[in-house]
Amino acid sequence: MLTVDAVTVRFGELRAVDGASLEVGDGERVAILGPSGSGKSTLLRAIAGLEKLENGRILWDGVDLAGVPPHERRFGFMFQGYALFPHMTVGENVAFGLRMQGRDAAEIRSRVAQVLEWVGLAGFDHRTVDNLSGGEQQRVALARTLAPDPRLVMLDEPLGALDRALRERLIVEMTDLLARAGTTALYVTHDHDEAAFFAHRVALMRQGRIVQIGKMEELRRNPADDWVADFLG
Amino acid sequence: MTPRRAIWAAAALPLLFIGYLFLYPLIRILWLGISELELADLLAERRIARVAWFTLWQAAASTGLTLLLAAPLTWAVSRYEFPGRRLAQALVIVPFVLPTVVVGTAFAALGWRDSVWAILAAHVFYNVAVVVRTVGGMWARLDRKVEEAAATLGASPWRVFRTVTLPILRPAIIAAASIVFLFTFTSFGTVLILGGFRYSTIEVEIYRQAVTLFDLPMAAALSIGQMVAVTTLLAVYARRQERTASPLVLAPEASTRRRPEGRTAWAVAVSVVATLTALFVPPAVLVYRAAADGGFRRLFVDEPVLGRPLDAVPTSLSFAVAATAVAVVVGMCAAYVISRRGSRLSQVFDVVLMLPLGTSAVTIGFGFLIALDWPIDLRATVALVPLAHALVAVPFVVRATVPLMRSIHPSVREAAAMLGASPGRVFRYIDLPIVARAALVGAGFAFVVSLGEFGATAFIARPNTVTIPVMIFRLLGRPGLGNFAAAMALATVLGAVTAAAIMIMDRFRSTDLGTF
Repeated sequence: MLTVDAVTVRFGELRAVDGASLEVGDGERVAILGPSGSGKSTLLRAIAGLEKLENGRILWDGVDLAGVPPHERRFGFMFQGYALFPHMTVGENVAFGLRMQGRDAAEIRSRVAQVLEWVGLAGFDHRTVDNLSGGEQQRVALARTLAPDPRLVMLDEPLGALDRALRERLIVEMTDLLARAGTTALYVTHDHDEAAFFAHRVALMRQGRIVQIGKMEELRRNPADDWVADFLG
Repeated sequence: MTPRRAIWAAAALPLLFIGYLFLYPLIRILWLGISELELADLLAERRIARVAWFTLWQAAASTGLTLLLAAPLTWAVSRYEFPGRRLAQALVIVPFVLPTVVVGTAFAALGWRDSVWAILAAHVFYNVAVVVRTVGGMWARLDRKVEEAAATLGASPWRVFRTVTLPILRPAIIAAASIVFLFTFTSFGTVLILGGFRYSTIEVEIYRQAVTLFDLPMAAALSIGQMVAVTTLLAVYARRQERTASPLVLAPEASTRRRPEGRTAWAVAVSVVATLTALFVPPAVLVYRAAADGGFRRLFVDEPVLGRPLDAVPTSLSFAVAATAVAVVVGMCAAYVISRRGSRLSQVFDVVLMLPLGTSAVTIGFGFLIALDWPIDLRATVALVPLAHALVAVPFVVRATVPLMRSIHPSVREAAAMLGASPGRVFRYIDLPIVARAALVGAGFAFVVSLGEFGATAFIARPNTVTIPVMIFRLLGRPGLGNFAAAMALATVLGAVTAAAIMIMDRFRSTDLGTF
């Protein structure tokens, strides 16, 4: 279980995240929804260990993660723009996390094949990443994130760069995949429909603060304030 | 965000390297110069005033002559398309990459020693490439429509050139002139070989005072003067660099080149053939005379004082390998730090790691000589020469690799970290493979720099660490035509090895040489 306890992240004068608290249970999928500049990506990066905390704690199963560097957290992170390794093939990209864990070659090969099959890219192992379509890149990034079996998967606007039709298809596939595996997941987006479809619960963020958390229907029915009501339409 | 600890770990080696081999000797020079010499003594020395004056005017004259003599070729290759244009552009670089000792020996082979003209000619020979690349680079992109517009307004071709072309090219011309001036102001090997005892630049004088007359405080004072002068020149140059041509008048290169016709075709042909021939003669004479005078046989024969000339080749090659290895390791660590933007260390490194490039080689050699007896007497070890070469070469490795390391998006490294890669492994699996080719190019530069390095090595070479350039210089100083022939032969060998290294490197190079 992930516990975010009153976390603050500062960039100079600006409090990008301002006392945010949040809990994500095992197997739960939570979306962080907010307008651009609301600090939702920064919060995600803070959980990953990629941003320094000014204040507050991040815990996994009650253990404080302060001092645990990103590469030892066993969290998966899917970046906006995917951040695929340009000098590696699709297969090498997906295998990277497994190699870092020191798995043996045969195990890596079968796991890569399995994960690529999940995302519908069976047989893409030897393709280079720069001549993939946007949707294919997105799937490779997802496969790469899932391959090492992280205890938490974080997705930062994973469909942001794609066109509407593709997004609608991929959100269904992705949600289905994570639901079947029972993966604990955090999903950052500015799109209400994606959040509603993907998540069990939605955390609404505004100016660095989490203003309300709950099921999407609840938020719509009982908005905490005018801004929430306005934002959710 | 790269963890601060990882950045500091990578920074430790370059800091130690630059601190001990560069900054510390510099401080010792400053201390020696300030504590033991009265400035009045320095100014009272008539010889010093003469040297300073000669340094200045020969640099100014060399710069003027280079601009003038390089102009026709620059015009031809940047404004016109003709068979062999690319070849001409490639050939003109060759003199620039030749070690100064080779150039000096080539002009000595022409029988031009002990004269101002030999020095000026060698400087022009060496620097034509700077003008062709720097000015030609901009001229090739100057939109012809701008000139045509002036012509339709009634300007004659000469007036178009004077009132439109020249003013637009001004920043490039000034940049080229500054570089040539800097190179010739700090010229050492060429002047030492061709100037005899009569002509001496500040660089050569530092060497004479320290090595021949053993007046170390005087040499230190001259080094300080040289550093002040060079720093001023570099500062002026950096200021100038910020102003470049308006993008309004620039067009894609291919669109501005025409096929020359009629009289223009003749002018283009004469410009290209005459300039390339003039550049071809000195090395050709060097090779011819080396062979005709039996120089190559001499390389295998013991000289009573210097030993077998050919023995300098394995020495140079092994030093070059060692210097390259050190420069690559230190340079990559530094590039790693510089490319992590946002840390203050990155900005500091960006400047500090380039300092050896702006410091005269003689100052570096002199600093090694007086400072590296602490904490152990490093001067007595064979490591001294390779370390000096590595110091000179590090900026080349940094320049070759930093742009590519910077091009890696931070999220790519973060993605690797999130997949379980420690900072060390991020470097090994992400940075290293991506910059490998660039690092190879940097290594090639380092190798070539080490092979040709003379200014620093002249100070610190011992009988068992004589490199090819030092051997050439010593052979030139020995009496007898046989030794002169051997010097020419060894210069031929060095020139050939350098050219070969450059050609191999060129195959790995994806980007251009860029600015000098």
